[in-house]
Amino acid sequence: MAFLNCTRIQKLRSRLTGVVSTLALALCATSVRAEQIQLTFRCWDGADNMPALLNAAKSFEKANPGISVRVQSVTDSYQEKLLAEVAAGIAPDVVMMDPGNIEKFAIRHALLPLNDMIAKSHYDVGAYYPNIIAAHTFHGQLFVLPRDIAPISVIYYNKRMFDEAGIPYPDGKWTWDFKERPELREHDFLWVIHHLTKKENDKVTQWGYAPAWQDLLWQQFSLSTGGRWADDYMHPMKLQYDDPRVMKAIQFTADLTLKYGWVPSATAISTVMQTSAKGAFAQQKLAMMQSGIWEVPGLRKEIVKGKPGYFDWDICMPPAFKDGTLWTTTGGSGYGIISGTKHPWEAWLLTKWMAGEPGLKELAATGLAQPAIRKMSLEPPFIPSADTPEDQRVPKNRIMMDKAANYVVFGPFGTEWSESSDFAGRVLSRVWDGSAKAVDIIPAANKEGQDRLTYLRTEGARPRFNWTVGGLVAFGLFGILVGWIYWPERKIRRTSREKRENRAAHMFVMPWILGVILFTAGPMLLSLLMSFADWDIIQPAKWRGIENFREAFFVDPRFWTSLKVTLIYTILAVPLGVASSLALALLLNVKVRGIPVWRTCYYLPSVASGVAASMIWKRIFQPDGGLLNAIIYGPDGHRNFLGIATLLKPLAESNGQVNWLNNEHLSLPALIIMSLWGAGGGMIILLAGLQGVPQFYYEAATLDGANPWHRFKNITVPMISPTLFFCVLTGFIGTFQSFTQALLMTNGGPNDSTMFFGLHLYQSGFQQLRMGYASALGWVLFGVVMIFTLLQLRLSKWVYYEGG
Amino acid sequence: MERATIADKFSRTVVLLILFGGAIAFMVPFYITVAMSLKSQSELATTSMWAWPREVTFENYRTVLTNPLVSFSLFLRNTTFITTVSTIGTLFGSTVVAYGFARMNFAGKDRLFLVLLATMMLPGLLTMIPSYVVYAKIHWINTFYPLTVPAFFGGGAFNIFLLRQFYLGIPKELDEAAVIDGASHWIIFYRVLLPLSGPAIATIGIFSFMGAWRDFMGPLLYLNEPEKQTLELGLRTYQSLHDSQWHLIMASTVLVSIPIIVLFFVGQRYFVKGIVMTGLK
Repeated sequence: MAFLNCTRIQKLRSRLTGVVSTLALALCATSVRAEQIQLTFRCWDGADNMPALLNAAKSFEKANPGISVRVQSVTDSYQEKLLAEVAAGIAPDVVMMDPGNIEKFAIRHALLPLNDMIAKSHYDVGAYYPNIIAAHTFHGQLFVLPRDIAPISVIYYNKRMFDEAGIPYPDGKWTWDFKERPELREHDFLWVIHHLTKKENDKVTQWGYAPAWQDLLWQQFSLSTGGRWADDYMHPMKLQYDDPRVMKAIQFTADLTLKYGWVPSATAISTVMQTSAKGAFAQQKLAMMQSGIWEVPGLRKEIVKGKPGYFDWDICMPPAFKDGTLWTTTGGSGYGIISGTKHPWEAWLLTKWMAGEPGLKELAATGLAQPAIRKMSLEPPFIPSADTPEDQRVPKNRIMMDKAANYVVFGPFGTEWSESSDFAGRVLSRVWDGSAKAVDIIPAANKEGQDRLTYLRTEGARPRFNWTVGGLVAFGLFGILVGWIYWPERKIRRTSREKRENRAAHMFVMPWILGVILFTAGPMLLSLLMSFADWDIIQPAKWRGIENFREAFFVDPRFWTSLKVTLIYTILAVPLGVASSLALALLLNVKVRGIPVWRTCYYLPSVASGVAASMIWKRIFQPDGGLLNAIIYGPDGHRNFLGIATLLKPLAESNGQVNWLNNEHLSLPALIIMSLWGAGGGMIILLAGLQGVPQFYYEAATLDGANPWHRFKNITVPMISPTLFFCVLTGFIGTFQSFTQALLMTNGGPNDSTMFFGLHLYQSGFQQLRMGYASALGWVLFGVVMIFTLLQLRLSKWVYYEGG
Repeated sequence: MERATIADKFSRTVVLLILFGGAIAFMVPFYITVAMSLKSQSELATTSMWAWPREVTFENYRTVLTNPLVSFSLFLRNTTFITTVSTIGTLFGSTVVAYGFARMNFAGKDRLFLVLLATMMLPGLLTMIPSYVVYAKIHWINTFYPLTVPAFFGGGAFNIFLLRQFYLGIPKELDEAAVIDGASHWIIFYRVLLPLSGPAIATIGIFSFMGAWRDFMGPLLYLNEPEKQTLELGLRTYQSLHDSQWHLIMASTVLVSIPIIVLFFVGQRYFVKGIVMTGLK
């Protein structure tokens, strides 16, 4: 007995210890897991920079066990996506940020102010270039720890081309004036460009210089001659594009292309050479290119020793104006902490690691970014040394970047600024292509932009939106709808059997009813409320009354433009589309061989996805090398297919051909042409309709002596008129709302010529986060669609319904 | 008689020629896309775009598929999941609701049907903004919920309408026979009408599958993280990363188009039948 008790107790004890130890292990494991913090880190760097960031993140994890870092890269619409995520509460912890966008986030209290944490860690921000610290400070608080400063003052030059032209390499001590000064030879910027440009039979084979984008050049010229296009770059209140010095700089930049022919136009680079300025430089079509230091990794990849096309290159400072003034614009970025983060202190540790020496050392090695910490810009790995691996030695002259950092101007900043300066920016394209002079078109555009800026800046304090009242109103409207639905039934007495059926039926229909409430009626009512408010989802909504509608109809120039564009597109594309579908259907209705094959060929394009189609057609519309132009102008560029080339002559560009998507008169027609490719969809519907016409009608008519046209007019058309009407009606409703193609291919441009109403709505809501205004636009759209639908129903007398 | 035949043959040949020419015109963009995707970058820059590649290379496809930042296989998985779930939801929702409208009597039926018709005409842009706001507030952004859950609630007004018409076409005698046997509405629906709706369901299934597969706006609005994107959205991301690198862009375009074209060929029958049904309204 005792023996048994012993074993039982032993068994019990061993089982207990087993249980306890498992519990203990589990507790330990959970407590360890509980300490494992996960931080999300987001940047907009592409493949060139990512390895450096990933390495830095890994070394951070090693130094901080218990914290793991997830690195994300978003290269498309970074700011808009981030803002929307902040609104939705799903933003990452540490985010990359640039000075221009800090205000947008700071005023919404979306970024954590860093001053306290800097003090707590005794972090030395004096090690950074002071001007970039200032650029990231908002109302006295530093919001973003800078990681790189990127003066757009790097001139990449091709040594071989300088040798060929017998010009000594630029030492950065050159200057420029508004006209060439041959007496200064290589110390005159224009003289150098002139002598590096080579022509063969009127065509340029080697360009002297090109900026990576047009704006950087005129802005440098403007700043260096005292022209400032905003009054206060940190908090702009006035647009000053009409300052004579600014306009002179703009015109001068255009003249370098149009008058002198030494600088290729932006379209020449992107659509004729089909590359970027950097690509043109790497392919030795360009002697000098100006950009920021970030082009270095890409250039290193393309210009490889031992491979064909290799040449020696280096960088130098851009020229100052003849009086010695030099100012350039700049980029720069850093890392900030989203205020909704669950681990602010750990996020700070990550931020100061990535923007501090550990992170910046990795970045400096790639040669892509100049560290914002001054001393790191003066030593390896940013500056090449004897230890630097062979392929990272070039460019040698990186020490100039420290000097360049002193000549930069940040800004102008602010969302209101970018929206209003867009007015001036848009007309610049006409200066670049030579169709207008700067002094002629800029003042008016400046005024438009200024009006917009004033309007946006002086909104004034508005009262809060009263959601309780709004909710009651919405509820009331909803109640009216419910009442209308059940009104006729109020007096009907039901048998218990009917009542049972009633209940069962409601069960069947319940999913849809719920769906209408949750996903249709509910959102509609919310949209109605929002159309009277100003709301960005993050800050509390403000009451705006009918101001949204007033702004749409009377203040917003894009409102009427987009309505016009959408109307024109719809009125042209829908009838053309239906007509094409009808034509195809008629053809397919004839008893020829291989109908399934033809049907597939015509229908397949409408099956292909929207994004894929937009890519394909973007290529087709390319001016040089695109399918459409190859047909019109022939492969050698001199044919004239059906005389279309002569028709398009006034719109042609320098190489004699038209640029469909970049020409404000041709962009919309291009989209219409593209929409015809999908005619197969309507074709099948109409074909079904055609096949539903009884044969004997035709036979009877033929016996009576009707010819094909009579048969068509009096039998076919009436019999398929319901189907035709259906196609036209749904076509109108759908096309009026469409904007995906515009978003993917032209983004509304050029010059708003493809700014569809839906696109304007999308941009207002998701890019500017003006949800209230966008809702108001939505209701305007609803109204317009309603009017058109009713109009068409009214005019549908021509539709013949068989059977009365 | 003789004359009629010759004129007939003549017109038929003319039609055939026109069809042939048109088909070439419609197919050329596809041809160019495929041809460009099979050329290496250097060949692309130097040869005419019409030419079939001198050296067919699959290098571009390999580059696209092995890109570290953009994973097309992940996109495929996401897209398949979202599309399948949403199609199942649509089929479930629309069949059940359509039965209610077609075969049952209930209070407010006529006016509710008008509401159904009205929702078909509603511009989607109107609900786009408030839906986003609501999803943002309930933290559904960057999840698959906004793209899948609404399908279960009624499955689309258009599909309900279509199925209702279809059910109305099925003779009531079958229902009555079942009622005599003591069947409830659910049994009638499940055992009588549903099995007969095969073609209609197949059509709706295929169309909603295709629609969900090709949806761009939904994923654009609701899917933020690169890991959650669908094929359409991922293609756009890829394109913006490799702007003007046409050999890669075309390869990625072909890759994304393959599933949907395969699906089209497999389900061709239902396509045509389905559109016939929508057209005969």
